[in-house]
Amino acid sequence: MAVAAGSAPPPPSNVPLLYRRGVRRLLTQGIYVAITAVVIGYIYTSLDLREFGFGFLDEPAAFKVGNQWLVDVDGVTNSRLTMYLVGVWSSLRAVMVAIALSTVLGVLIGVARLSSNWLVAQMAMLYVEIFRNTPLLVQVVLVYTVLLVGAPLIENVFNVGDFFFVSNRGMAIPWPVPDSGFWGAPEWFVWVWVAVLLLFAAAAQRVRANRQELERDTGQPHYANRWALALFAVGALVSFFALGAPVSMDLPMIVGTHYIEGMVMEPEFTALVAGLTLYTSAFIAEIVRGGIQALPKGQSEAANAVGLSGYQRLTLVILPQALRQIIPSVTNQYLNINKNSSLAYAVLYDDLFRVANIVQNKAGHALEMFFVIIVTYMLISFAISMVMNFFNARVTAQRI
Amino acid sequence: MKRMRFSLLAIGLVAMLALVAVACGGDNGDGDGASAGNTVQTVKDRGELKCGVKQTQPLFGFREADGTVVGFDIEFCKAIAAAVLKDHTKVEYVDASDASTRFELLAEEEIDVLIRTTTITASRDRELAVDFAQTTFFTGQGFAVRTDSGINSTSDMGDAIICVQTGTTTEQNVADHFTDIGLEYDPQGGLSADVAAAFFDGRCDVLTADASDLASRIAVRDDAADYKILPQIISKEPLAPGVRDYDSEWKDVVNWIVHGLIRAEEIGITQANVDQMASNPPNTEVARLLGVPFQGGEVAALGFDSVDPQFIQRAIKAVGNYGEIYDRTIGDNIPRACTLNDLVINNSGCPDGQGGIQYALPYR
Repeated sequence: MAVAAGSAPPPPSNVPLLYRRGVRRLLTQGIYVAITAVVIGYIYTSLDLREFGFGFLDEPAAFKVGNQWLVDVDGVTNSRLTMYLVGVWSSLRAVMVAIALSTVLGVLIGVARLSSNWLVAQMAMLYVEIFRNTPLLVQVVLVYTVLLVGAPLIENVFNVGDFFFVSNRGMAIPWPVPDSGFWGAPEWFVWVWVAVLLLFAAAAQRVRANRQELERDTGQPHYANRWALALFAVGALVSFFALGAPVSMDLPMIVGTHYIEGMVMEPEFTALVAGLTLYTSAFIAEIVRGGIQALPKGQSEAANAVGLSGYQRLTLVILPQALRQIIPSVTNQYLNINKNSSLAYAVLYDDLFRVANIVQNKAGHALEMFFVIIVTYMLISFAISMVMNFFNARVTAQRI
Repeated sequence: MKRMRFSLLAIGLVAMLALVAVACGGDNGDGDGASAGNTVQTVKDRGELKCGVKQTQPLFGFREADGTVVGFDIEFCKAIAAAVLKDHTKVEYVDASDASTRFELLAEEEIDVLIRTTTITASRDRELAVDFAQTTFFTGQGFAVRTDSGINSTSDMGDAIICVQTGTTTEQNVADHFTDIGLEYDPQGGLSADVAAAFFDGRCDVLTADASDLASRIAVRDDAADYKILPQIISKEPLAPGVRDYDSEWKDVVNWIVHGLIRAEEIGITQANVDQMASNPPNTEVARLLGVPFQGGEVAALGFDSVDPQFIQRAIKAVGNYGEIYDRTIGDNIPRACTLNDLVINNSGCPDGQGGIQYALPYR
């Protein structure tokens, strides 16, 4: 006897009421709703008592935060919200640099773990085991302590040719700044040059794709990368001088006991980024190794058989396929970097969490401030996820 | 079947969480700052005083290697415990070293009293659930620099890196001061012990904090001679015990214990002679302060509703008078004679323009 698909079985009359599916579902959902209502109701009433609101963020800050870069906010005339955003910018900066560095380092170490060179493979394994198995907080504080105690005092600064300084006040390096150049152009001229650079980059990309296609079709070498690079380099140089050299390098100097000009990487920033990078790169290395090893052995054997070099085998055959495995796991690591950046608290780095703490101490409103903190971290995480999902979609869309 | 078991488990978990949330919430709800509390009764019922103290500042509140907490502020915790609970050892020292959470500890009833080098300010009184008792230590914000730095006042500090504890009045004072004198500076902020360590490592040119704080940190170092504290003081920092808002009985008790200890010094009652003074008070005021009858008369009923009249006597017996506390914990590390913390009645011998302002209100 065929029962039409989707039609429910006849309700059994001998099942006790409590054991009936419909009653069960109603009951469980009822309990969930009731509990949720109680919890939300309780939270609502207690917030009500505490005068929940965000007006305090608009009041004058009356404090200044350190580790500012590309911003200069004294905190006297600025609101508490502005100071908080300065903290957010400090966090973002550390997170972005740590993501970039840990990716590069992680891929290198992960590939090195599979190296046929015994020494290289063992070194990579040692690296992974050390940094994966010690707490991140310890690594961050250790790097900071080494930078403060190990680096020379500013009076005995380590000076390389008057353009590179190291002391326990940080590392100062030359930094590009807009320049009026020999046409006496206004500052915004630098953006014209940047636009021209982008144009040349696009053109170089186009040339590279064309020559790669030619190489595939004819089987003759067409040196796609070299051509593209040469085009970009020549374009950049010519446009730089054509526009009257709109950028110059700002050399760091020491006046008294502090750096001026140039770019100063403060030890707090360095310690946080170094800690995050060392720790996360160990995990990324394992993910990369796992992704590569998950591929059938035949892939690399086939690459060898058609005569690809080791480098070609890795970049043309292995990594593009392994990326499908790697990207989702690496996304998790990026999210961890974002969350772990709050360890800045341990090294005097004024990240968003510390600034939020300062505000909270001045204004009370701890609940609201934590709400703001959580939403901020979530927004950053969502942004990271979005970018990574975009990459993931591109990688998985590619036919292999 | 499996799925059903899982959903039952989930219901159980959610129900448990909700219960916990409601239960915890109940506690907090009762202790909301807006409702009047009765901390004296709470402390008596508990049989222990929860004192929020700093554990990272030598001389004031510092945790020794063996786990005991010692310092000037600690003695006032003992005095309050002796006065209210008749036993100065019945104190739980709650770590309130982190400046940014200390007032939360008080508001959430994690502690009964906050004795932690905390400055009285109008904004704290207004915005936070805290009320301040009598000042135990008068200081002001100062600056420490290396002796060979060539810095002699804040006008030499243009673009200097300044280590400053975050979440404190210090931070605001330094921002205000540098605006006033029109100089730029570069702050390095963090917990007080962390910024002090960074300063001594040479990360900053200047360490700013209460002058007493600076003195206490430099005094315990082997290389103390390499650092100096500038004479310039840019703020008033009266450090006082903090109690919860809307609990005037408790504030009164804490307040009069501090006044009582200062008064004891003014009229010469010490830990050593307090028993003898109590059994044979030389005058009516001593009798009132110690809560004993004078020449066979009645005991002046000056105790508060919740503590008996001998509470100040017990405090003196436990820790001595104000001067004894100062000498025992701070001593010569921060000289007292003719500075703000000296007694007003001693000022006659001081140079012009100097002298103490410690002055007990009359106990009658």
